[in-house]
Order: sequence, then C-alpha cells, then structure tokens
Amino acid sequence: MATKKLASLSGRRRAGNIASYIGLTLISIIWIIPFIFLVLQSFDVATTSLTGNVWPQKWGFDNFIFLFSGDCDFLQWYFNTFIIALCVCVGQTIMQIMMAYALSRFRFRLRKAMMNVMLVLGMFPGFLTMIVLYEVLKTLGMTGENAVPGLILVSIASSGMGYYVAKGFLDTMPKSLDEAAMVDGANRFQVFYKVIMPLCKPIVIYIILTSFMGPWGDYIFAATLAKNISEGFNVATGLSTWLSQANIDSYYKYFCAGGVVVAIPVIVLFLFLQKYYVEGVTGGAVKG
Amino acid sequence: MARVQLINVKKIYQGKVTAVHDFNLDIKDKEFVVFVGPSGCGKSTTLRMVAGLEDISEGICKIDGEVVNDLLPKDRHISMVFQNYALYPHLTVFENMAFPLRLNKRVRTDSITGKTIKGYSQDEIFQKVTEAAKVLNITQYLTRKPKALSGGQRQRVAIGRAMVKDCKVFLMDEPLSNLDAKLRNQMRAEIILLRKRIQTTFIYVTHDQTEAMTLGDRIVCMRDGFIMQVGTPTELFEMPDNLFVAQFIGAPMMNTFNTELIREGKSYSVNLFDVKIPVTGEKGDMLLKKDIESRPILLGVRPEHMALSVKQDKASIPVTVEVCEMMGSEIHVHVTTKDDTKIIVRIPTINMTQEEKDKIIPGNEVFLSFEAKAMHFFDPEDEKNLLAGPRAVNSKGLIVLPPVEEQPEDEENAGGEEEAKEEPKSDANQEELAKQIAALKEAEEAAKKAKEEAEAAKAEAEAAKAAAEAIKAEEAPAEPAKEEGKSPIKRHKYDVDIEKHNKEREKKEAAEAEALKHKRGPKPKGDK
Repeated sequence: MATKKLASLSGRRRAGNIASYIGLTLISIIWIIPFIFLVLQSFDVATTSLTGNVWPQKWGFDNFIFLFSGDCDFLQWYFNTFIIALCVCVGQTIMQIMMAYALSRFRFRLRKAMMNVMLVLGMFPGFLTMIVLYEVLKTLGMTGENAVPGLILVSIASSGMGYYVAKGFLDTMPKSLDEAAMVDGANRFQVFYKVIMPLCKPIVIYIILTSFMGPWGDYIFAATLAKNISEGFNVATGLSTWLSQANIDSYYKYFCAGGVVVAIPVIVLFLFLQKYYVEGVTGGAVKG
Repeated sequence: MARVQLINVKKIYQGKVTAVHDFNLDIKDKEFVVFVGPSGCGKSTTLRMVAGLEDISEGICKIDGEVVNDLLPKDRHISMVFQNYALYPHLTVFENMAFPLRLNKRVRTDSITGKTIKGYSQDEIFQKVTEAAKVLNITQYLTRKPKALSGGQRQRVAIGRAMVKDCKVFLMDEPLSNLDAKLRNQMRAEIILLRKRIQTTFIYVTHDQTEAMTLGDRIVCMRDGFIMQVGTPTELFEMPDNLFVAQFIGAPMMNTFNTELIREGKSYSVNLFDVKIPVTGEKGDMLLKKDIESRPILLGVRPEHMALSVKQDKASIPVTVEVCEMMGSEIHVHVTTKDDTKIIVRIPTINMTQEEKDKIIPGNEVFLSFEAKAMHFFDPEDEKNLLAGPRAVNSKGLIVLPPVEEQPEDEENAGGEEEAKEEPKSDANQEELAKQIAALKEAEEAAKKAKEEAEAAKAEAEAAKAAAEAIKAEEAPAEPAKEEGKSPIKRHKYDVDIEKHNKEREKKEAAEAEALKHKRGPKPKGDK
C-alpha cells in the first residue's frame, strides 16, 4: 500500500517536472528567437532591406565589414559607448561599494531617513529628471558632440542610489571582522580595502557587470544629450537612426550586424565573470 | 603588561538605555579577571569599552596609567579574541596571524638584526608567527584558509593572532562559547597554560560560571549593568554577597528556603520543614559575631552540601525522589518535600552504598539532611548575605563599589597594587558617589574591613609576585635575549619546555617551518 502511494507520488512529481520543463523551454524559445533572428540577418548579404526571410539568402561578412570600414560613424559610436561604459563601470563600482560600506557599517544621524529618501527617489523613472539635467549639462557645455562626458558625469553622480544589493551583501558580513582588524591596528580605510574589499569580490563583479551594461544599452538620455549630432551618439542612439523610415531599407542589415557587435563585449565580460555574478547576487540576497 | 582601571564607567545607548552603571574596577598587572553574568548584564559591553569598540558614555578607562577613552583600538595596545573568532576568510592562517604585525608601522628595534626599523621585518614576522603557531600546535595549518579548519583550530588561530602582537592587555570575549563541550574543556586548559606563558593582563568575558571559576584570579559577577560582587572564585563561592551571586555561581543552582533564624543565647538554629537544624561551626560563630537576632531569613544551601539517606535521623526531612540525573561521577537528585518544595541534591556516586543506589530512585521516599556549616543566610527583602561585609548600595539597592583610587606614579611603579585612599576625587561624579558612600550607616566599618582586605590582598599579591619571580627565574635562560635584542635569533621562552618534553617533534616542526619559509620565499605574501 505504502509502495503504491510512493510510486504515485513519484509519478506525480515526474509529471509536474515534465510540465515545468515544457513551459520553460517554450519561454526560452520565445525569448531567444529575436536574438537568433538578429544574428541570422546580420549575415545576410543578399539585400540591405528588411525581408520576410529568416534564413539568409546569401551568407557573408559584408555587413560587419561595412561597420568598421569608415563609411559610417559606427566606430565613433562604439568608441563613445565603450568610453562611457568603462568610466561609469569604474566610477559606479567605487561609489556604490563605498556607499554600501558606509550605510552598512556606520551609524550616523539621518542615515535611515537618507536610505528611505533614496528608496523613494529610486521608484521614479530616471528620465523624469531628463529635462532638468539636459539644461544643467547644456549650461556646462556637455551636450551635442560633447555628450560623452555629460553621460559619464550623470551616470556616476547617481550611482550611489544603487547601493542596495551591495549593502545587503555587506550586512551579511560579520562586523567582528571590522572590529578585529581595528584591534589589529587597521584604520577605517585599511579595514575597507584590506579586509572588506577582498571579501566583496562577488558583489564587486556584480556591480561591474551591471554598471557596464547600463550605459551600453542607454538610449533615451543619450539621444537627448546628443541632439542629433552623430559625434555624440552612443551605439544605441546611432543604430536607432538606421531604423528610421528613410534609412531602414538601406541600413537594416547593417543595423543587425551592429546589434551583434554591440553584444560581443557584454557577452565576453559576462562569460568571464558569470560565476561571480551568480554568487554575488545570491550571496547578497540570502547569505545568513 | 598593564594595569587597567575603570573609573565610574557608564555606557548609555542613545541617551536612554543604560547598559553599564558606575563600573569601578582596578585590574592589576598580569591579573586574569573574568567578567561573568547572564546575557545582557553588560559584561561584553564593558570589555568592548576597554577595547575601544564602544564609546564610553561617562567615566574613565585607563590602561597602564594612560587615559584611553579617546584612543582608537589600534592605539590601546590590546589584543582581542572574539566569540566568532573573526578570522579573515580570504587570508591563510599565516597571513591571519601576521596581519597585526604587517599593520604595525611603529618605529622599533628589530629583534633579529637589532636595527631600528618601521614596523616588523619579514623575517621577524615569519619568526613570530611560526613561534606562536608552534605553541598553539597549528604549524601544519599555516598555509590553509580558515574555512579548511575545525572550530577548535580556528579558535587557536584567533588566539595566535592575538598572541603575536605585543599587547599590554589581552581581551577575550566568550572565546569558547562556539565550541562543543569536550573541546571547550580542552581549550580552557590551554588558556590556563597560555596565561602562564604570556605574562600579561587578561580580561575574559563569559556567561559560563565554570569557565569563570577555573580561569579567573578574580571574578566580576554582573547583573543588569551593575557589579554584584568582585572577588576570587573561592570568595564568590563560599561567601556570596547576595542571592544572585550565590545562585549564579555553582552548578546546580543553590537551593533556597524561606525560614526563620532562631537565636537561643549563643547558639543559632534554623527551622526547616518543622525540623530544627542547629547552625554550628564557623557560620554559627559569624552569626554571633555579627550579633544577629532571631529573624526571618532566606536560607541558601548548595546541592553538594546536602545528603540523602535511606535512614531517618532527628535532623533529616522526608522527601520524595522525583528525578535522578546521572552525571557519571555524581547524581543530581531532584526531590520534593511534603509541601511540594523542590530541592536539588548532588551526590557523589563514589560515596553511595549499594542500598542507597537501590533506594534513591524516582518515586521512593528518602531522608534529606543539611550540612549546617555550609549554609548561607540571606535577607529575604534585599537578598543580601547577612554574613557578608557591608557594601555601598545605590538607590536601586544594588552594590556600588568605591571608585578606583588614583595613585601617584611612583606608588604604581613601586608595587602596582591598589591601596585604599581616603581623599575624595575631584571629579563631580566621584564626589557624588563618595557622598553616597559616606551616608551609609556602616561606612566606617566597611572602610576598616576594606583596609584589612587590602592588606591581605597586598600580602597575597606579594606572594604572587614572589611566585612570578620564581617562575621568571626558571625561564631566565630565554629572557635575556628577548630584553637585550642582541641575539640574532630570538628564542621564545616557552621553547625550553617544548624542547625538554619533545625534542623530536621540535626538530620535525623546525624542518617543516624551514621548508615553509623556503616555499614562501623571503617575503611571504600569502595568497594575494
């Protein structure tokens, strides 16, 4: 009797698993189709316009060669984006981890109020402040062809707001580590970089990845600041110009190739840091 | 090696919650003081104030005569072992132990080369760490990370890290509480040995009265932020100042009975469960000396000062055995009287007859007798020991120790023992405290007694000093090299014992250490 019950339980569990896997596979296929489509289209050299064919009529690298040939501004956009992403990545990582350390370890007046205010501010979409920021950056001469430093400045300035995950991670670290280091002769900064930073490796990797990917895909603010001046475009803004009604027939396949090239650095970075990324997110979330 | 003075120290959190009240304590140089008490009594807070990890809300903390209230932990010349060891997970055992030495950038004389350098040289760090590792028997784990060690090994590393630093005060915050019972006993013994080796001042925090009794020269028993009693383990056990100390120290807990102390001429007795038990011996004499009249009391009798018998005599009480807890060498017998009073009796199994073993089982009626000379008499209202010396109390009825008296430098240097001093202190708090004390009825008598005690303590300290000198004399061969710093290789003073007892192991460990040194190269950099 008991064996029969057990078998039935095992069977039900197996059926549940099969249903789950089918559902998840379908979702994965739906999610991955646009990427496959993009990659396939980037290799289609038969025509530059949007066609109904998913599979390339004629295979080749012409679209990629065009991107780097100097016949378009793609290299400029790519360089702009890379510079922005690199600077923001470094700046945000330093700012966020220090902010998280301060909020996790120090107790000061209005600490909680500040955290609450940041939480509420974080709920507003970023582009609400776009007009004001545009005016400020325009005054500083950081728009149009000089949009790159403007974008770096704005992204780094607001980076402290994303301290939550890092603080959560730091909160799980015993404070006695800091105290032991202080008794051992370390000052606060030494505690931070000799003890805390090496232990924060997973969360630092997480911040590096997220802060690198942010500017890489930024469109609205980058487009606003660049004001239709190609020298100030990042890749997202630049590539979007190829999708305009006037350009789509001439540039569609180049757009697809550009999309693939844009994804490469992020994919490489992610593959290298994937292990730490997962560890960082779970470590900060559930580590007790 | 330093004297630690805590003068009217208070800890108030957010201006509301007072965690430590008027803490006054003078810890002598090289003394091992244990703070003991239940959770939330303020013992760890006090220790952390000494360490500089908590701000001192009021009062003064002095280490080696220097006020350290505003000094950072790193400038207090302290070492600390934490409850959770607080080892740096990303560093190897070697680097963990070398960490405080690498951070030390004070200008000093290199013990190997004799040159004046900033901080410690790599060779010196290597030597110090390997020496400490050898003493703690963790040489083979030096290249491991903390996660690859067991609890006991981690604890040794934490002690090692504290040991390598030349500290004045060694602080330990419940270092054994994360270990299992067997390992705790083992480590307790090792701490006793360590204390003999490291001649420094120790402050040890624990909630375990067994640790306090076995480790401490003096115990500070605390409750709700107040010191309940300060004394040697024997004093706390034999003459507790109040019921709290009486019940906290000793396991199982002291039994208490609401009863009547009866005086008949020069003899005393207590009426317990309608049986008149005469109070004889030293306790009877003390009652007489204090001229205590017949009065209601709270009688305290420790479980080991009671006996169970299968035969009734005129001073025994019939009780029913409820539970027998076999502890191996002893049995804790839970009995109840006819009026349902619960009593715990501790019986050594070695003294039990076969008849007793057969009869003292749950459900049987046996007879309980008391050892009159080991009874404790408490006031039922304020729960103070009637026979203990008079104490200053505050408005809450809790003991306030007189503030630690300041001593001129020359006196400190001369002996290092604290002496009672009659002049009031200039500090406003201390004056207020002095007034409270002066207002007490028996202040005069207390001062007299304190003086006597101080003299006795002085004599005891002198004896201890003589003993310490004798030990020092024994270790003399290793000491001069340390002081002069002329020898190219500084040998640790404990090496003498190790070599004596285990020369072969010494050679093996030295070879291992040498191999490790070569492996690491001249500048060990850990796993960076």
